Amino acid sequence: MFFAQLKNELFKLFGKKRTYIGFGAFLLAQTAMLLAFKYTRWQSSLERLLNGNGYDASEYISTLTVSVVMLIPQIALLMPLYATLVGGDLVAKEAEDGTLRMILCRPISRFRLLFVKWSAGVIFAVLLVVMLGFTAMAFASLLFPWGKMFVFAPGQAFSILSAHDGLIRFAISHLFLAMNASVMVSVAFMFSCFNMKPSAATILALSFLFVSMVMENIPFFESYENFFITHHFKCWLMIFQTPIPWPAIWESEIILSAVSATAFLIGSMAFQARDIKS
Amino acid sequence: MIELRQVVKKFAGRLAVDDVSFSVSKGEIFGLLGHNGAGKSTAIGMMLGQVWPTRGEIRICGHDVTLNRREALMKVGAIFEAPVFYDYLSGWRNLQILSTYTAPTSNARLREVIDWVGLTGREQSKVRTYSHGMRSRLALAQALLPKPELLILDEPSDGLDPEGIHEMRQTILRLRKELGLTILLSSHLLNEVEQLCNRIAVMQKGRKVFEGNVADVRAGLGRVALKTSNFELASKYLIEQGLITDTAENRYISLAAGRNTADVIQAMVAARIPVEGIWQHEQTVEDFYLSLIKPPAAEGDQ
Repeated sequence: MFFAQLKNELFKLFGKKRTYIGFGAFLLAQTAMLLAFKYTRWQSSLERLLNGNGYDASEYISTLTVSVVMLIPQIALLMPLYATLVGGDLVAKEAEDGTLRMILCRPISRFRLLFVKWSAGVIFAVLLVVMLGFTAMAFASLLFPWGKMFVFAPGQAFSILSAHDGLIRFAISHLFLAMNASVMVSVAFMFSCFNMKPSAATILALSFLFVSMVMENIPFFESYENFFITHHFKCWLMIFQTPIPWPAIWESEIILSAVSATAFLIGSMAFQARDIKS
Repeated sequence: MIELRQVVKKFAGRLAVDDVSFSVSKGEIFGLLGHNGAGKSTAIGMMLGQVWPTRGEIRICGHDVTLNRREALMKVGAIFEAPVFYDYLSGWRNLQILSTYTAPTSNARLREVIDWVGLTGREQSKVRTYSHGMRSRLALAQALLPKPELLILDEPSDGLDPEGIHEMRQTILRLRKELGLTILLSSHLLNEVEQLCNRIAVMQKGRKVFEGNVADVRAGLGRVALKTSNFELASKYLIEQGLITDTAENRYISLAAGRNTADVIQAMVAARIPVEGIWQHEQTVEDFYLSLIKPPAAEGDQ
């Protein structure tokens, strides 16, 4: 029964046009960034950086390098927006539309209903990340050759990898990106379980992430960076370091899993106590 | 099938339902009446486990809804005013989705229900293309999917045109006749309630102010209208004689057990109290409802 309910939840989710806004926006953003990288000084500045460090830039401006270059700003800016948009809708939109009342005259427990909805949200997050990675590579391959990988994120990564190693790490990094997106969905889902409009749930979740990001970057809080979830979101870049700092990655993943579970539980408790009225 | 015992519901200090008790037996069509904000929908919400009671007990099909919601609602269907669906999906997909929240439902059962409500041929169309009447039929279909024994209808005719209201009324009668369902109907359409229900309860400002049979309501609750030049004197005398038990509104008397209007006339004539008219009082549910919820006139208005 759980899988039948999950399947139907996915039908509901992917039957809505607004679910595809994120996918569409990523495609547009990727196209724009790819053209910007190719035809502005963005590419030449990266080449200077490589040449300045003693590498032959022509070997490293490749499909994999450009894929990651495109991913970094999208993960930081667009991913939270579209993950929270869908997460904020999961419960609050049904309550606003009135369909939740129709569901809750059925003998399904509120906890189970929420678990089904949350699972659908997590599946959406994973699909969004997979699509993002796949299209980033597909688009980059149109204009750039296959070759070695260079990953540069100020203060977080400066890595030179072979094409084979780079591809494997690029694929693995998406597991961690999927976790990031799931946490974003979970935070928005938590707010969605309270008695509020879907837009309010999305805005609150975005605000929460934004405040976390701002505080993390204030020098005063440098020693407290582990308390900010946006700090742990960056662990996906660690996968490109050599050697891979697995303990630090797993620490972040465990913290992110705990945040996700806590958000789900808080949302469930709030929803359990709520009166569902027209 | 439904049992409410001293149920109280407060929303942020505001009393929405105040010490309400009533029960609905198997096979009844029970009407729940009241003005907007009287507490009907809150009471229905509590019956369906959507609203938590502050105090009291609610049992549906023998199970406490608060403690054992799953068992209580296993054989219950419900329809709310202005039925809402996933407009971007087909009627068929909507029914599939809603059925999975109760129990696995076969396609044959879906087809059977769609046929019963008369939506065959339109089940694959998106719900956004449905008329209000078709949405009501789809709402009925989703309520019938779990083969319910109890149907809770919260203003099912809301927003329907006269033909739609007539169709809904016929459908409710069919449900009772063909499927033998117990039905709780909340409605503002008093004429509809009068035609459909066996018993009614009236709520006012969160309190139940009446519960009884529709037949008794029609028969003026056993009241007899008495027209006389001095009602006060006549009623006092008739009570002394043990012929009546009660009076109301300076025009109605309630006969004592075993007494009839002939006894009253005989006694009044013997006592030389003029009798200008006496007849069994009959009223519609609407008359009764309006007299019940009419605010008491201020003394200065008398």
